Amino acid sequence: MAAAETAGTGRVFVILVVVFSLCESLFSGGDSYKRELTVTLYPNSTPSGGELLHVKAVGGNDTLHFLFCSQGAPTLLMVHTNSSSSTVKVNWTEFLARNTSGSLTVEPQSSVLYSTAVVFSRLLEYDDENDTAEAKSNFFPAYELKDFIWTQMNLSDSTATLCGSPPRSGKGSLCLQLSVFGSEGRVDLCPRLLHSANSSQLEVWINGLPPRSNTSRFMLELEGVGGAYPLSMNRVDVRKFIDDEYAPSIFQVSLWVSSPNNDSDILGFVQWKPVAYRKSHPSLEDATPCRNSDPQQQNGNSTSASSALIKAFYSDPVAMGMNVSFGIAGEPYYNSTMFLSWTMLMGVGSPPVDSISPMVIGILTAGLGIPIVLLLGGGAFILIAKKRESSGYEPIN
Amino acid sequence: MADFEERGSLLGDEDEVPLAGRQEASGPGRPMSAICDPSHLLHRVVVLVFMCFLGFGSYFCYDNPAALQTQVIQDMNLNTAEFMQLYAWYSWPNVVLCFLGGFLIDRVFGIRLGTLIFSLFVCIGQVIFAAGAWANHFWLMEAGRFVFGIGGESLAVAQNTYAVNWFKGKELNLVFGLQLSMARLGSTVNMNIMGWVYSKVAVAVGSSGHTALGISLMIAAGTCVFSLICALVLAFFDKRAERILHKEQGRTGEVIKLTDVKDFSLSLWLIFIICVFYYVAIFPFIGQGQVFFIEKFNFSPAQARAVNSIVYIISAPASPILGFIVDKTGRNIGWVFAAVIATLCAHMMLAFTFWNPWIAMSLLGLSYSLLACALWPMVAFVVPEHQLGTAYGFMQSIQNLGLAVIAILVGIIVDIRGYLVLEVFFCSCICIALMAVVGLYIVDFLKGGGLNRSAAARAKLQKETSTDAERKRQPSMGMQGGSAARLSSMSAFGLRNRYLSRLGAKLPDHCSTHLSTLAHRSVLK
Repeated sequence: MAAAETAGTGRVFVILVVVFSLCESLFSGGDSYKRELTVTLYPNSTPSGGELLHVKAVGGNDTLHFLFCSQGAPTLLMVHTNSSSSTVKVNWTEFLARNTSGSLTVEPQSSVLYSTAVVFSRLLEYDDENDTAEAKSNFFPAYELKDFIWTQMNLSDSTATLCGSPPRSGKGSLCLQLSVFGSEGRVDLCPRLLHSANSSQLEVWINGLPPRSNTSRFMLELEGVGGAYPLSMNRVDVRKFIDDEYAPSIFQVSLWVSSPNNDSDILGFVQWKPVAYRKSHPSLEDATPCRNSDPQQQNGNSTSASSALIKAFYSDPVAMGMNVSFGIAGEPYYNSTMFLSWTMLMGVGSPPVDSISPMVIGILTAGLGIPIVLLLGGGAFILIAKKRESSGYEPIN
Repeated sequence: MADFEERGSLLGDEDEVPLAGRQEASGPGRPMSAICDPSHLLHRVVVLVFMCFLGFGSYFCYDNPAALQTQVIQDMNLNTAEFMQLYAWYSWPNVVLCFLGGFLIDRVFGIRLGTLIFSLFVCIGQVIFAAGAWANHFWLMEAGRFVFGIGGESLAVAQNTYAVNWFKGKELNLVFGLQLSMARLGSTVNMNIMGWVYSKVAVAVGSSGHTALGISLMIAAGTCVFSLICALVLAFFDKRAERILHKEQGRTGEVIKLTDVKDFSLSLWLIFIICVFYYVAIFPFIGQGQVFFIEKFNFSPAQARAVNSIVYIISAPASPILGFIVDKTGRNIGWVFAAVIATLCAHMMLAFTFWNPWIAMSLLGLSYSLLACALWPMVAFVVPEHQLGTAYGFMQSIQNLGLAVIAILVGIIVDIRGYLVLEVFFCSCICIALMAVVGLYIVDFLKGGGLNRSAAARAKLQKETSTDAERKRQPSMGMQGGSAARLSSMSAFGLRNRYLSRLGAKLPDHCSTHLSTLAHRSVLK
């Protein structure tokens, strides 16, 4: 009981961050639901990483807890409770020991509606000498992300950045950036995913990792972990959309949802655009398509073993693994820029749906409306003129 | 009297066996085999073959960037805006050259030397373009396109002048149709073959990259060399025919006077607006269409190139058929309106739906052919004949200016805002053209409805004015005996245009059949 709420040896920084962000889109039609964010960081006593970040997003009558941890494989856990006063309790010593589950709990337990987690387990590299991007053979030894050496979390505004480098060589890095939002909006950087107050964005990028061949491509392995309602075991849905304004040349959105019976209400989702970028400030020509494999069931125990957060929260996790491979046949290889970034959105409820921007609607209305008006007006004018001609005038000759 | 002479020469032109009269005029009188006799149909068919292939190289190489879009962008590290510069640089010289083409051919070089020089420009331009890719200098590629542009459009003028010089009357329609088909064939073959050529070269070189790109473009330059050879052969035949038949070197007959611009009527300016805003929604779209089809509709690169080329494939057979229909029915403004609406539908389909793009692109091909057949002849209806050269030159000049500017804008829009906004932009350009069509109809209606007459009404009007004019001309025939020789070579084409231009303007002292070719030269664009 002693010091159960506070870290055992370290200090607890309580940073109160209240985010008031105005709606970035001109029309606030859509989700104008706002949440207040509170950020808590549990640092580790050892100099390297292993911190636990807790962001509490409090809405009107519910709370979203986002927990981001780099102990072992980097993990993002999301818990949705139906009370605005729920809290997270961490038994830090047990958490660090990684022996038992239940060291991290959300109180009151009965208020937990839904929880899901994404574990980034491995980074795979394969030699694509024939430029087919098939990703079936020629695999180099995989990078186990649980063995990476993670730095301390860098907190700024409403984002937390975490970087790690490979254990032996130490060259290059894989970074993750978590952004939690209090309201609807869009981040400025491609692919400019639309987020709502019910979602958080996680950007993953590889920078400078030395490739093991001139024709190698990368693949990221994710595991979706759930308790009662895990992410879909069968498929990742693809939704097509006509508007590519915010991510030029990308007309699809990939959705990995968890719904209790297929096609009923969506409880939670992982959403992304099937594109990766080869530069840190990308534009259209730096985009490279990415493909994902179908989800496959994994061994829940090995997932628990690789991630402290999963071990602490879930007693009997169900894990579904999925690979995201970057690049297709004909695209430049990784060594052209030595950089790859990919963004995903994780949230509760229905995923946000893109809509056509007001500018496009305005241009269309003006562009089509004016000729129609002209047509009708001119047609009426001509009819009247013809009527006037046909009535009355008789030629003299 | 002029009637009889004209009728006589028409018969003589259409006849396949040379009449006795013509053989006497055609020189020493020693019997030549049919294929060597410049006045015989068989020889002229041989010349026609070379005439058609004259433009093949130019049209093949014009759309090389579109056919190799992904390769050019990747190998030279470009964004879409820089890629579209390749099209802009082709159009820039033609803003000025449209006015000078006829002048250069008539006064400075002559048709034979002029054709050779323009073919040489096309060839050298393409070689510089390929060299720029091979050496990995993008500025050199742009310079190559600039040189290529100097030759490209003027070569079309020369091709048309040759056609008018060698063929008369009803044959001329067929010849123009064949030239159009060859142009479209060149574009289509380019779209569908260059990707395959590149992949084969990349395998041979070892890797894809700017070297493979340069070599592929050099191979494409081979078609330009082929066209250059055709130009040489044509020059030889033309010189020989001139010697045997004692006929003059062909002339375009264009007279460009920029001061005529102040006389252009409102109808003509509206026609210019339609022309500019319509074509900027077609050519820049095809120029960067490949990536659009790959990304939005998940086409393979080969499929994307095929659907991109469907506009050209359709316009090859559709243009003569639609031209025939438009000629028969008249009502040009109605056809232009239908074409613009159809293009708007096609672009909206591509923008807002995921329907199979083959449908939209086929519609685009049909409407593009329809507009070309209906719009360009309208210029001849509203402009007096002595100003036709200036009018067509001006129309092509601003068309090229619009294409150059919009090509760059298209690239920027795609980079910043993506393809939906680009399609909306194209839709708005078409809407401006639509407004101009509606305006044109209203203006024309207020002026008496000359442009939208049906063909039957027009023919009736021709007869009335021709009998009037003949009666007026009879007394003055004696004085104009000298020019009777010139008048006697009038073709059906020249007759029609001449009488149609009489509907609005005073008949000038000179008349030229060659001005009729202007309508058809522009159809090739």
